[in-house]
Amino acid sequence: MTAFDARKLVGDLEVTLDVDVLVGAHPDRDGPPGTPESVLDVLAAHRIRSGAVASLRAALFDVPSGNDEVLALDGVVPVGAVDLRDPLGAVREIDRLAELGVRAIRLFPDEQGVEAGFPSVRHVARKAAGLGLVVLTGGDVRRFWQPFAGLEATVVFLDTHFYHLGDFLVAAADEPGFHTSTRLLNSPDALETVPPDRLLYGSRTPHYEPLVPLLRLATSGLKPDEIAAVAGGNARRLLG
Amino acid sequence: MIIDVHAHWGPWFFTMDVAAANLSAMDRYGIDLAIVSATEAVIYDARAGNRALAGWLTGQDRHLGYVTVNPRRPADAERDLREYLPTGKFVGVKIHTDYTGSPASSPQTREALAMVAEAGVPALVHTWGATVLDLAEVCRDTPGLRVIAGHMGADGYAYAIQAARECDRLYLEPCYSHAPAGRVARVAAAVDRTRLLFGTDSTLIDPASAFGAVAAANLDEETAELVAWRNAARLFGLDLTP
Repeated sequence: MTAFDARKLVGDLEVTLDVDVLVGAHPDRDGPPGTPESVLDVLAAHRIRSGAVASLRAALFDVPSGNDEVLALDGVVPVGAVDLRDPLGAVREIDRLAELGVRAIRLFPDEQGVEAGFPSVRHVARKAAGLGLVVLTGGDVRRFWQPFAGLEATVVFLDTHFYHLGDFLVAAADEPGFHTSTRLLNSPDALETVPPDRLLYGSRTPHYEPLVPLLRLATSGLKPDEIAAVAGGNARRLLG
Repeated sequence: MIIDVHAHWGPWFFTMDVAAANLSAMDRYGIDLAIVSATEAVIYDARAGNRALAGWLTGQDRHLGYVTVNPRRPADAERDLREYLPTGKFVGVKIHTDYTGSPASSPQTREALAMVAEAGVPALVHTWGATVLDLAEVCRDTPGLRVIAGHMGADGYAYAIQAARECDRLYLEPCYSHAPAGRVARVAAAVDRTRLLFGTDSTLIDPASAFGAVAAANLDEETAELVAWRNAARLFGLDLTP
């Protein structure tokens, strides 16, 4: 055992549903290949029982075949990616996914070079909200809250950094459907500041270390029932 | 034993209230000693922040200080180094290149780091992306200078590996609010392990971030001990006998 043994700190914390899991690789980065088998292995090694999984193939190259890849996985919550560079195709894909019973879509604005003010984002936001789908979105929360405002949308902001926590909180105060991932809420009091029913454990496995948000949550000042909610209860409520 | 070579004392301007969080966070992660800079000194007024930190440090036994240097204020820096280093409570210098608008490659930071080398203490310098290579160049050009590349280039950790190879007086510490998979493991596999340190950026960032990232690297026992405290103790000349 070294000074950097996290097992004791994590204790018996289990995550029942991680809201931010990917399969596939980033061609512009060094990193793991993200094969489904290897991703599920990483989750299991960290006592993360299931994940809301989206496909980088869908996000970066071909939407239908990438989404079909995650729809074929067992034991996960499939999340459909759409391509904001093609808003018409995105809406067609949302219709297809909804018919297949998919409950959530995921947006990759940074990876697709799309800004919050682009018409496609508002178009997709309206469509998803109209169908009652949960939207998991990347991007700077200070900008990406806006296309979802006033739609009664259920949104999980996956990239909320603790630098921007105040912006999330004031936006979420007016929007009961706004939630945030824990991944970048690494300041000493961010997790303790967000209403616990708006917080969802997200790791971005396998491209980020799942241990970091796990450790932060395990050592947080939240009560046990709040930790359980963040570790999957809230995600199950939203995603089924 | 863990020594945190990148920590802070004082308030932050973000939506956070962590001024009192320091000791409890240290206890939670087994951090015995933290070397801190004053946030006021880093962000706004080096002289005022150093003075406030000097006052606070007199009552602390688990903290040592960095004298923060604003490279645009060399006369202030000279006075502060002369005043605070002999107290024994300050063991190094902190330079934040962004808050002072003084990149590592700028003439004023080069001059400030020459002053630090003259003073004979290590400098913790903020690095991000490829700027860590600029720091390596200054390190090579400045005899006797020992620098810690704060954040080891953050997302530019591949540059940090190169920087550590280019100057053998350049050390790396890992704190970063993001945790890309394999970042610490890759650096540890590629860099002389006697130049790897542990830093958290507490109280801005909870130690969970750096601790978790290092834990995820599964360092062998000997390397972990070097990273945890031995390298820092040697670099700062710390006498850790109880």
